[in-house]
Amino acid sequence: MLTGTEPESTHATTAATPDGRGAPGQEARAAARVAEVDRRLGDPTDERNELSYARLVEADEAGELCAAGERALDELRLGADFVPGAEGGSLERLDTLVRVMRQVFRRDVALGLGYGVTSFMAAVNVWTSGDAAQRARLARILTDGGKVSVAYHELAHGNDFTRNEFAARPAEEGGYLLSGAKQVINNAGRADAWVLFSRTDPAPGSRSHSVLFVERAGLDTDTWQVLPRYDTVGVRGCHLSGLRFDHTRVPAASLVGAAGQGVDTALRAFQLTRAALPGMAVGTTDTALRTVVCFALGRRLYRRSVMEIPHATATLSGAFVDLLTCDSLSLAATRAVHLLPEQTSVLAAATKYLVPKLLTDTLHDLSIVLGARFYLRDGEHGIFQKHLRDLPVLSLGHAGSAACQATIIPQLSRLARRSWFHDEPAPAELFRPHAELPEIPFDRLALTGGRDGLSATLVAAADTPPAATGEERAVQGLVATLVDELRQVQEASRALAPEDRTALAGPAAFALADRYALLLAASSAIGVRQQALRDGSDAFLADPAWLAAALHRIARRLGRRPAALPASVDARVHEEVLRRFHARGSYDLYDTPLVG
Amino acid sequence: MPVPTTAPTTESLTTWLAERIALYLTRQPAEIDPDVPLAEYGLDSVAALSLCGDIEDDFDLVIEPTAAWDYPTVHALAGHLMAEFAADTAQGGGA
Repeated sequence: MLTGTEPESTHATTAATPDGRGAPGQEARAAARVAEVDRRLGDPTDERNELSYARLVEADEAGELCAAGERALDELRLGADFVPGAEGGSLERLDTLVRVMRQVFRRDVALGLGYGVTSFMAAVNVWTSGDAAQRARLARILTDGGKVSVAYHELAHGNDFTRNEFAARPAEEGGYLLSGAKQVINNAGRADAWVLFSRTDPAPGSRSHSVLFVERAGLDTDTWQVLPRYDTVGVRGCHLSGLRFDHTRVPAASLVGAAGQGVDTALRAFQLTRAALPGMAVGTTDTALRTVVCFALGRRLYRRSVMEIPHATATLSGAFVDLLTCDSLSLAATRAVHLLPEQTSVLAAATKYLVPKLLTDTLHDLSIVLGARFYLRDGEHGIFQKHLRDLPVLSLGHAGSAACQATIIPQLSRLARRSWFHDEPAPAELFRPHAELPEIPFDRLALTGGRDGLSATLVAAADTPPAATGEERAVQGLVATLVDELRQVQEASRALAPEDRTALAGPAAFALADRYALLLAASSAIGVRQQALRDGSDAFLADPAWLAAALHRIARRLGRRPAALPASVDARVHEEVLRRFHARGSYDLYDTPLVG
Repeated sequence: MPVPTTAPTTESLTTWLAERIALYLTRQPAEIDPDVPLAEYGLDSVAALSLCGDIEDDFDLVIEPTAAWDYPTVHALAGHLMAEFAADTAQGGGA
């Protein structure tokens, strides 16, 4: 071919997506943004830094968001990261947003939530269902550094939000009249706008609520008020309060999507936040692990360093491996939003259910190594107890753990009958941390799935030639165990009675959702390692050691008793824990160079 | 629970729906008033999505997952399904 002389890109990270829709240079922009945020926030272990762990703990003690932190994020124009490129912002890839926010979350969960993620949670409703004018208005607020509150929650109804009472009644003169209260709403008192989940029809059911995007400016101030702030166990700097409206008039243009589409919008839009939020907290647990590694290397007990005590070493290695598992599931879920939007409903719910749970368990394990120091509120290790108090907030909010399981449970029997052991494996692009992606197809997010390419990756992995090394054989044995587990989950799911496919399902159905989520995490880790092996870009991720360790821990969580791993697995993982500590590389799939 | 093998009628669909919904709610089919919104019996939004999946599986008919939100009683849903069957048959899909 005469045109065959056109040079091919040799830079693996800038390869275009197979369908060619990704804007070139995505990965370079992502890496630059992550580094920029890290640099601006500075070394958190340096007490002279106004954003050091010590100062962040002080702000928490005072019950305030760190002012210097908010200023830094303003300067970084972080709000633009929540705005899709099509709306003039810089949100290209959901996995990139996770990486960027991880830099904030490793320092302070309260800042991550209170500055930004709350606004993102509100925004996804408008990106998914809003009209051009609403999207433009929201983009303007966020890129200008403003905040938007997501006001769904009413204490009386929890995640059962089709029972919500807060009302938007059509007014005779046009528009709506708002009446009622929303409670425990982040930034309610200082947001420029609120996304209000409102009852627009008194009838029971799922067509009686609508989403309203209401700007604060221009409202009759005599008709609404901010409710008193809540005091909380963690994220004490967050401004959690409420709103009460009494016949407050808002324009008809506030309605997002069609009247009665509120539940529909919420169930689709929140797939983005369910997929993305949990992975941000990988940064929080990264800090906890780093803190304990530092402690273990410096502290001497029984005439040796804590790091030489086998239980401590194993705990730290286990924590690192669990972070890689969490990041693998987070990667698959966020990239699925772009690549498999029709399948994301279950996958995002599984991520929001499992990742905060694993991260919380990891923090608990690490606290045992830290000993009495984990209970101290200040000093060198003070950030640990703050992260320990802050992290559980991720399991709350608009999709609590049980609510996420309740999203998965009704879909299990259908997946069991139609998908598992039949579907094609997920595309390779799902598992490549640096590969480019097409835009987020907001209009293709579906309420229910029925397909599952991710677990098919696990099933396909069982079909490989006999392994040459002990580590590879360990991986193969574990894959076989997990495929058997999927078979059992399939049988149990097929047998679920109709009453066990509702929010009122029995505990056994919730246990099935838990087992399935663990299998999705295992599938993600398998996919990540397969692609790393193929790409040859990351020697550690291509190594079977971490995968063997990850699958072993998952199998044990599933109640299996897998054979002991070769000693080389522990050694390889331990070596990497130390290497990344000394080289200041992040404890996730990216090994990102950190300033501190 | 038997699946109708002949072309469904409004009556057979009404019976099937009442029986299936009763299973979801652990009630007796006779307790399900075909004109009372399902949400009043406590059928949550997610279970309503499941119900639509069951309909697809048992009748080999593709419907919107939100059909039970838009046609929130047994009568309304049976009527909607009859219309969908008719449209499906007219397109040569068969039911």
